[in-house]
Amino acid sequence: MFEKDVLQLIRGLRAHKGEEREYIQSSLRECKKEIKSNDMDQKATALLKLVYLEMFGHDMGWASFNVLEVMSSQKYPHKRVGYLAAVQSFRPDTEVLMLAENLLKKDLTSPDKNLIHLPLNAIPHLINPSMANSLLADLLPRLSHSHPAVRKKTIVTLYRLAVVYPETLRPAWPKIKERLLDEDEDPSVTAAIVNVVCELGWRRPQDFLPLAPHLFELLTQGGNNWMAIKIIKLFSQLAPLEPRLVRKLLPPLTSIIKTTPAMSLLYECINGIIQGGIMEVAAGTTEGDEVARLCVSKLRAMLVVQGDPNLRYVALLAFGKITASHADLVADHQDVILECIDDADISIRTRALDLVVNMVNSNNLQLVVERLLKQLKTAGKQSPVNEPENSRTFHEGVIPMADDDDEGTATPVKNKDQKSNQPPPLPEDYRQSVIERILEMCSKENYVNMDDFEWYITVLVELVKQCPSSSPSGTFGSAAWKKSMADAIGDELRNVAVRVKGVRPEAAAAAQSLLLLDNREEHFAQATENAQNVLSAAAFIAGEYAAVLPDAGAVMASLVHTTTTQLPTHALASYIQAIPKVFAALTSNEQVPWTDSRKSEVVLLIARITHFLEPLNLHPSLEIQERAVEYLDLMRLASEAVSAQQVDSENGGYAEPPLLLTQAIPSLFTGMDLNPVAPDAVRKVAAPESLDLNAPINSSLEMILQQAEYDTEYDSGEDEVRRFYYEKPSMVKTSYVKPASELLEDRDSGSASYQDTDRDSLLDPEALERKRAERRERYRDDPFYIDSERNSGTSTPMHNILRSANGSDLDVDAIPVMELKLDSGSGDSSRAPKPKAHKKPKRHFEITSDETIDGGEPTSSSAPISYSSSPSGRGGITQRGKKSLLEFNSAGLSALSLEDGPSAGSSSRGNAGSKLDFERRIQEEEELAKAMKEVERLRLEMQRQAERVEEPTEEGTVVKRKGRKKVRSGIAADEGQSLGGDDGIKKKKKKKKVKESEAPAAEASAKGEQEQEKEEAPVKPKKKKKRQVTFDE
Amino acid sequence: MINAVLVFNNNGQPRLTKFYTQLDTAVQQRLISEIFTLVSARPSSSCNFLPLPPLLAPSNPQPESNDAPSLVTYRHYATLYFIVISTSTESPLALLDLIHVFVESLDYLFEDVCELDLIFNFETLHAVLGEMIVGGVVVETGREKVVEGVRAQGKVAKRPVNSSRPGIGAGMWAGR
Repeated sequence: MFEKDVLQLIRGLRAHKGEEREYIQSSLRECKKEIKSNDMDQKATALLKLVYLEMFGHDMGWASFNVLEVMSSQKYPHKRVGYLAAVQSFRPDTEVLMLAENLLKKDLTSPDKNLIHLPLNAIPHLINPSMANSLLADLLPRLSHSHPAVRKKTIVTLYRLAVVYPETLRPAWPKIKERLLDEDEDPSVTAAIVNVVCELGWRRPQDFLPLAPHLFELLTQGGNNWMAIKIIKLFSQLAPLEPRLVRKLLPPLTSIIKTTPAMSLLYECINGIIQGGIMEVAAGTTEGDEVARLCVSKLRAMLVVQGDPNLRYVALLAFGKITASHADLVADHQDVILECIDDADISIRTRALDLVVNMVNSNNLQLVVERLLKQLKTAGKQSPVNEPENSRTFHEGVIPMADDDDEGTATPVKNKDQKSNQPPPLPEDYRQSVIERILEMCSKENYVNMDDFEWYITVLVELVKQCPSSSPSGTFGSAAWKKSMADAIGDELRNVAVRVKGVRPEAAAAAQSLLLLDNREEHFAQATENAQNVLSAAAFIAGEYAAVLPDAGAVMASLVHTTTTQLPTHALASYIQAIPKVFAALTSNEQVPWTDSRKSEVVLLIARITHFLEPLNLHPSLEIQERAVEYLDLMRLASEAVSAQQVDSENGGYAEPPLLLTQAIPSLFTGMDLNPVAPDAVRKVAAPESLDLNAPINSSLEMILQQAEYDTEYDSGEDEVRRFYYEKPSMVKTSYVKPASELLEDRDSGSASYQDTDRDSLLDPEALERKRAERRERYRDDPFYIDSERNSGTSTPMHNILRSANGSDLDVDAIPVMELKLDSGSGDSSRAPKPKAHKKPKRHFEITSDETIDGGEPTSSSAPISYSSSPSGRGGITQRGKKSLLEFNSAGLSALSLEDGPSAGSSSRGNAGSKLDFERRIQEEEELAKAMKEVERLRLEMQRQAERVEEPTEEGTVVKRKGRKKVRSGIAADEGQSLGGDDGIKKKKKKKKVKESEAPAAEASAKGEQEQEKEEAPVKPKKKKKRQVTFDE
Repeated sequence: MINAVLVFNNNGQPRLTKFYTQLDTAVQQRLISEIFTLVSARPSSSCNFLPLPPLLAPSNPQPESNDAPSLVTYRHYATLYFIVISTSTESPLALLDLIHVFVESLDYLFEDVCELDLIFNFETLHAVLGEMIVGGVVVETGREKVVEGVRAQGKVAKRPVNSSRPGIGAGMWAGR
């Protein structure tokens, strides 16, 4: 007796401030109890409370049966609650939905118009195809309900039916059309129909062309702006299909634009003209030009109007749509558009940004980019500290809290509340989007708009500073953007350096400025290590174009600096690759005399590089390790060559620099130019005829693998040979990355499955250790076995051999420490001249496009990065086909043709296969009625015959049914008696009636299935009947 | 078409949720809080269109489909945010007007409507919306007809007992 009603619940909620959770839980428990009660009032109250709590995220799916109970109550208020609960809580997988069907049908046919509204409102939320099929018959008659509100809701409900069950439109569309064409129809019903037609229109515009004249009339009559907007939207779909429509539409649209006081209608007119392609079709004619000018000038006016950001937003949207066809028209208004880039409102900025990307040409590119850069520079970065506040609401669900500010909740809603006018700081994802767009604009179509690459390089360097600090998770641009912005900037730098030979010195200088440690503060002060990803590309450029580096020595000093090892892995890998290249550039000059000082300088350089590389031998990243080991040995060779080479004698005798430095090392890195390769070029490489990809490389692989399965011990001699060839040297093993290396090791040493790595890791570590010790023992004298624990990493056998051959040891530590001043000591000729010398206003740049095979279409995608040397972040963009939330699938609807719908009427009747269940039933009913009439006629006839005591001759022969036979026999028996025959015929009629009432039932059961085969069953007998009847005549 | 209509207050507490495509309760709540996060950060001087919240953002940059929601329109009245999520077939400016008609109708029914009215009469709130939008399609845009339709369904309750005016109401809640 203490149940709460919903008001008390809400009050209680507001009173239990701070402990809402407990209160809600206890209320939910109460509701659970109350909803099981037999008292319908209590049930409905409990349900209403549940609906209220559902709003706050407390699922009420468990109560779906109770929802149904309340829905089926006799009282309207209960029903109302029940229907509301159904709308709010039923999901596609709610099982009781099937049970609701009959209730819906019943309420739909209720004489009470208020009651009809409930199912009409609810059906769109609940409908599924099988229900649609059966509800259709009850919905259609509502289209001619006396009350307009019922009619318009029925129309919309039918549309939603059609979305899940497209066949709906076959019977429904002619009736809807009839309503639309009815001049006396209530205007709000007409408007609802237009809304529905507009929704249908974009799916199958061709089906609605015949309606165009009538819609045109509705448009020109004016009156309802809402409807006019929808009609214009529909026409923009129809116009591309019917060029004549464009000429018809132009005058009224122009006059609306000029005269309407409603901004929304004005905007939609312009939008319709743009979207319908009316501008294109009408281009050239005076009218067309006029309308284009008119549209653009109105849009401009919307942009500059003060105090209405909404107009600015939609105008930018419209401008964005024009750019596709009339970029020049839009570019005329770049002044006002660029203003919007600095708008306080982030939504408007984003729109403007989208717009300018498509608007840029070679004339305004620099202007636009400078403007965006300025914005990035001046706007403060959003500090990460600000974010937790937002993310709190994001992660925790919203729980209903007792409102503390009753004044606030009681403020009249109509008053607009005032908030601070301060623009929010640039959010990270917007910042990222800006950078992304700058890169996109500049690199578009292989730099078609780019005049000044020197400028571009400075922009790129500047962008590095503006990199967002956090990893992207943003939504402003494409969500598929996986790599960091710094990567993208680096790729652009590299792209320019590789493609544009003319600016390589500048690119190299830019790379140098990024690499130099002294500048690091400046470039990466604000940005976190994320921005350092750009260093990977910078190192590549510095290495590849070391010859044009302004100061190779300084770059080298930065490359081998101890802080370098803390860089991200792929940047470090790129650094290591660049080191020998820069080294080659520094030492390979043959012209420099090989003097003492030169020699010690080179020795020192080698020592520094060796010092840098040595620890990297054991780096966890395999790539770094491999490169380090390779170049370390190269450096050892070089150092031996240097120390072996005689220097100039004091008396001026000329000594050659070592050949290894001048010839061998440079030749490792020169030769072919690295050119950009089209992404699909590799696929075009024809496979050599002799290559059979299906042939096994090693025919005994299977056997070997099997063997490996059984041979877990390695002591047989034959196995050792195999292992020698097939096992990777355990160089990969490092002491501090045990799991990975162990995994690798074990996999290589003969595990049959590459997938089943778990098995390896499950191995007893002790056993592993034992095996490793065994192996060490076995390979103790193997010169090719490099064991990290023997310290062979720092002195390879090869080195040993060389060392013993040369006789003299290099003792790195013995070299006296002196200041490394590479630029002062060596000749100036080894350095490229400072590239800043020329300052031409305009240069002609040759831009290398992607290399490809066959001369096939070079893919001019904006930024092909197929030659990338960085190992990570290059994963293909995975396109998830996931559809958006809230999106509904209307594919079936667009597949349905209405063509024969309106016109077919009776003509397609013969084609039973294409008939709807519903139509079939109507047809059957008609046939039944006909048959009934015939039977009646027959009865009269027979009566008359009986009266005349005449024996019916043929009638009985065709009657096949059992019941009929009985009757007939009855007649036969009675034939002698003049009056008894009447009785028998009556009986027969009754039987028929029974059968009739059975038929719909059978139908109802078969209805759900929709299958033709099943449907034919009830049709057949009637056909027979018909035959019989005709026979009788 | 319209995908969802939401009303929540300045603290992000929902006052009305109506989704025209079926969605799990938990997902609904996430969507509400995402939109609230977006909308609450906007100054009143900014425009009434939101970027798509992360949940709704298309996962692949395809040409936009007319079936997928692409527009989030909102209006802020006093303590309440009114949000409409719709596809590109709706007119953005018309949706703003639609929200206004909705609020006007409420105002007319409740006489100077305030958040409290909507909290305690959420059934009526649903009824008003039901008169304007059915299954995501706008069926009525005239205030008079909406009000008439709602009144035909039954008497619209006035403010809950004892809480006639803001000032008095504040005193009343304080005691509980």
